[in-house]
Amino acid sequence: MADGLPTEFDVVIIGTGLPESILAAACSRSGQRVLHIDSRSYYGGNWASFTFSGLLSWLKEYQQNSDIGDKSTATWQDLIHETEEAITLHRKDETIQHTEVFCYVRQDMDDNIEEIDDLQKNPSLVTSGTLSKLLDSACLSEEMHSLYGTSHGISAKEIPKNDGEILLEVTGIEESQVKEKYYGDKTCIHTFADGDKDENKPIVEDNTDLPKRNRITYSQLVKEGRKFNIDLVSKLLYSQGLLIDLLIKSNVSRYAEFKNVTRILTFREGKVEQVPCSRADVFNNKELTMVEKRMLMKFLTFCLDYEQHPDEYQDFTQCSFSEYLKTKKLTPNLQHFVLHSIAMTESSCTTIDGLKATKNFLQCLGRFGNTPFLFPLYGQGEIPQCFCRMCAVFGGIYCLRHKVQCLVVDKESGRCKAIIDHFGQRINAKYFIVEDSYLSEETCSNVQYKQISRAVLITDQSVLKTDSDQHISILIVPPAEPGMCAVRVTELCSSTMTCMKDTHLVHLTCSSSKTAREDLESVVKKLFTPYAETEIDREELTKPRLLWALYFNMRDSSGISRSSYSGLPSNVYVCSGPDCALGNEHAVKQAETLFQEIFPGEEFCPPPPNPEDIVFDGDDKQPEAPGTNNIIMAKLESSE
Amino acid sequence: MSMEDYDFLFKIVLIGNAGVGKTCLVRRFTQGLFPPGQGATIGVDFMIKTVEINGEKVKLQIWDTAGQERFRSITQSYYRSANALILTYDITCEESFRCLPEWLREIEQYASNKVITVLVGNKIDLAERREVSQQRAEEFSEAQDMYYLETSAKESDNVEKLFLDLACRLISEARQNTLVNNVSSPLPGEGKSISYLTCCNFN
Ligand SMILES: Nc1nc2c(ncn2[C@@H]2O[C@H](COP(=O)(O)OP(=O)(O)O)[C@@H](O)[C@H]2O)c(=O)[nH]1
Ligand SMILES: [Mg+2]
Repeated sequence: MADGLPTEFDVVIIGTGLPESILAAACSRSGQRVLHIDSRSYYGGNWASFTFSGLLSWLKEYQQNSDIGDKSTATWQDLIHETEEAITLHRKDETIQHTEVFCYVRQDMDDNIEEIDDLQKNPSLVTSGTLSKLLDSACLSEEMHSLYGTSHGISAKEIPKNDGEILLEVTGIEESQVKEKYYGDKTCIHTFADGDKDENKPIVEDNTDLPKRNRITYSQLVKEGRKFNIDLVSKLLYSQGLLIDLLIKSNVSRYAEFKNVTRILTFREGKVEQVPCSRADVFNNKELTMVEKRMLMKFLTFCLDYEQHPDEYQDFTQCSFSEYLKTKKLTPNLQHFVLHSIAMTESSCTTIDGLKATKNFLQCLGRFGNTPFLFPLYGQGEIPQCFCRMCAVFGGIYCLRHKVQCLVVDKESGRCKAIIDHFGQRINAKYFIVEDSYLSEETCSNVQYKQISRAVLITDQSVLKTDSDQHISILIVPPAEPGMCAVRVTELCSSTMTCMKDTHLVHLTCSSSKTAREDLESVVKKLFTPYAETEIDREELTKPRLLWALYFNMRDSSGISRSSYSGLPSNVYVCSGPDCALGNEHAVKQAETLFQEIFPGEEFCPPPPNPEDIVFDGDDKQPEAPGTNNIIMAKLESSE
Repeated sequence: MSMEDYDFLFKIVLIGNAGVGKTCLVRRFTQGLFPPGQGATIGVDFMIKTVEINGEKVKLQIWDTAGQERFRSITQSYYRSANALILTYDITCEESFRCLPEWLREIEQYASNKVITVLVGNKIDLAERREVSQQRAEEFSEAQDMYYLETSAKESDNVEKLFLDLACRLISEARQNTLVNNVSSPLPGEGKSISYLTCCNFN
């Protein structure tokens, strides 16, 4: 597969997350020969985004959690010379834990068939959705068994026949497909499609309980999810942030498109409200009194240049920001807005940090729109790829699905001089940049990792309904008890290309204290109601319904100092995975710092020459005689 | 000529196995050159050529793979917001033809539903070494609902025609889209690149 891969480079970069990709672009742009590889089949590592079925296979991989590779890889031991040492790299990814999937939409017979079709690309199976026909076809049910590895048989006898419209849930299939339950690090998958009913018996729906016309089914999520991109991380770009500045400066922004986040929301006393943040917002707000509006404007105006008015905050530098806000003649309502939705800080943060965060928010506000944030179309997962494209344009070589067995260290100099890949091929370079998750347990034995709790939800409505269903919103839910973390919620609409029409994609993020579900489930319950329950509980109907949910913990390697890694040669540099923060400042800073360390004095990602400068005007150079265009037109029409 | 001096702007993206002649096709069309030897032009992201079709100025922005196809590592973002795709194989290389279904899968997944795809069999100047018959390619392109053309970047055969035909199709497609203004489904390219976002200040 990788024959013809050159073996001499200046820089080898392992991992295609955001910091590695920015570094790749920077190195290549400054004339280095770059090899950029990833052991996975997709770009981005834990910064990746997936289609719905791509996400399901990603989950399956963690569910299997298998240690692959030993069989197919050449042994590297023989390839190490006497004057050399090897530092092995990791094969098993342990950055994702406690994955749990909850499916609230119905997965009826039709759905299963369509899903098989989707996975196997075998259209001959979609002949009919009726159950009797299905069961007549023994080979089909056999195929289903083998596909899902089920031990439960489906036999026609078990399924009661009904003359009415039958909607069936065959637990034999569902159970193996959805109801797998593992413990520890393994995936835990639940389904609610059959509630508390006996799991071993297929159930026939009552006619009275027939689903409505416009219901959303699992098969729709799978099928239409093909075009949409679900991110593993949930981040936004501060419109005056480092990432935006870098994208603009380096011209990488031309590979991506962005949408403004349209609303900042807040959660107070069980209610979701919109936070007014621009001057116009404040004055158009119907919830605030005139007095409150003046108070808020006065305070925000002060924050914009708080450094000029030290007397306003000097006495409070030892206090928390929330204490300070209480002294500022702001109603509790406004204090809540400023603390959670504008500064977006924890209650414990200091006055200075709170003022700084507020100022940053306000400064970002003006640049592109009504809120300080941008979201990339097709998801955050596009951004690392954009930097990779830039690297490739300047000659960088790209190789996904390329595993590295070890780093080769020269004993005498103590420097790393090569890698050995899974083909046993030695690739030489001067500098090596490795993402944290590739390092072995031995290298990381002294490293203490933090964790991020994540939830990804598909819902049927916005948490705050308005005339338009095309909003991108961010909502901070303050901690229920002091000492716990605030939960950051971002809600994406279908025009961001992250979810299908009539649904929203919702991300929840906080730093972990327990498993993701334990950390986040209470907030999910406050904001949403499970899809199935809506028939029963009328009151709950005002909340958006939950169609599908995924929880997982992601390792946060952002705070690790270089010295915590044992035995790494000085020319091996480590990049971290995604951090918990809303912005991308950490990744950009890390990339720039490492770049300056490796190539002191080199410019970091300068703008490339503008392709618009290489314009070849066709007017004077068309070899074909005038009038040919009509012929072309005519031909096109006849061929259609 | 100034940047805004055109009636239409289209993004055309080339894909296909390494070595089939994508870069040569682009350079032949935009620069009138047939570069000796392989290799991308370092630092060139896309090429631009403005053509006139029935009195209308059409600016074509033509994107090359930057070599990422070599080890099957094209970024998804490469396909985004492309108006047309030129899927190229080498008529003297069976393997490059056999890989087409794989390319079509990527297109299906990452490109817009509305994208126009043209299948191009390149290097017809090497007729004596042909491995893929015209008929096979025609059948394949018909089954996949693609427009099909054979070219030689070296001899400049059908290269102008390839891009001009495509421009014509894109124009008529664009006209239809403005007539049938479907607001319901979000389209790629609907977002804004940073420079187009408008400013509105807090103060
Ligand atoms: N004979 C012939 N050679 C071609 C033609 N087009 C490209 N080539 C050669 O094929 C090789 C690969 O071309 P290139 O444009 O780099 O392919 P790419 O990898 O698809 O971009 C080069 O050696 C070219 O000179 C053609 O039309 N005829
Ligand atoms: Mg090329």
